Amino acid sequence: MKGAEVIQKLDEYLTGKELIVSSNGNVSRQVYTLLPQPQVYLRGSMGLPVSIGLGLALSQPKKKVIVITGDGNFLMGLSSIATVGSVQPPNLRILVIDNETYATTGCQETVSSALNYVEMVKGMGIKSVVSIDLTKEKEIPSDLFDKFVIKEELQVLHIRVEIDDINLENIPWHPIEIKENFLNR
Amino acid sequence: MMVMIAPEHFLSFLSDQGFSLASGVPCSYFKDTFTSLEESTEIYYIPSTREDEAVGIICGYFLGGQVGFLILQNSGLATIGDALTSLAQLYKIPLLMFVSYRGLEPDADFPEHLVMGDVTEDVLSAYQIPYWILEEENWKSILHQAISVMNDSSLPVCVLVKKGVLSQ
Repeated sequence: MKGAEVIQKLDEYLTGKELIVSSNGNVSRQVYTLLPQPQVYLRGSMGLPVSIGLGLALSQPKKKVIVITGDGNFLMGLSSIATVGSVQPPNLRILVIDNETYATTGCQETVSSALNYVEMVKGMGIKSVVSIDLTKEKEIPSDLFDKFVIKEELQVLHIRVEIDDINLENIPWHPIEIKENFLNR
Repeated sequence: MMVMIAPEHFLSFLSDQGFSLASGVPCSYFKDTFTSLEESTEIYYIPSTREDEAVGIICGYFLGGQVGFLILQNSGLATIGDALTSLAQLYKIPLLMFVSYRGLEPDADFPEHLVMGDVTEDVLSAYQIPYWILEEENWKSILHQAISVMNDSSLPVCVLVKKGVLSQ
């Protein structure tokens, strides 16, 4: 199972009202291509998707905010998980698509393979954490996203995946357009 | 001698201007301000683990339709370069930053601030960030100017805060 397939599957569970923040590089390109538009597609801002998602969740407490991030991005901003654990916004959820590499820059390895995400994230005060390895799976479990999208609870879902072999084109919108389209949605 | 700006007046001014969230990393120059922030019912304060995280939080808050401000020591200016250039400036997100101006005078007890003190205004200029130096006497006028430039440009602006202006 590859990251893009996981994002494609998530689409089946979305109502269209969720607000999504996606990390720079391949993840944003996949979210732009596969999920309802417009969302907050990050270009730079490496390490900041969780922080931006936290601010958005506080600003829009009635909307569900989903941060979709690669492992490199998540780990660069790891201390922002501690802040989220302290604030406990019930409308925020974080999906970590973990291929154990900085895939966008040519699949250089990250430190992700050494880590236990459940212990790490629970240790930062987030009670609802699921970690699943789909690298060997051909099908995504049918109930994987049920609770993640619907339940009003701060959650982290960590999914180990295979590296995507297709690199998508860059998002055609200028970041100012990304912002304006999101604000005017 | 001027009297410092009362933190409660400072925060209620910002609240009246529409700011409802603050995030950042403390500096002793803001000690009294942070005490008031932690007690404030008008402005929600999130202590961030790093200054760039606070930029992300305030930018996300803006994308949800509300406005917050950033508060940090000038040492943190060295941490927020990418958050400014590839988020706030790239997406044109208005951002009001209060930055303590440490390292202005030689201080044998705090050598860690001297280099950044020397280059603080150069760093802001290099990042093309308009800045003001907060003064006790006409502080509301200075803040009005900074907020007006921030809103007109939809970009980050900075207010530098020297010792004794916002905290004893």
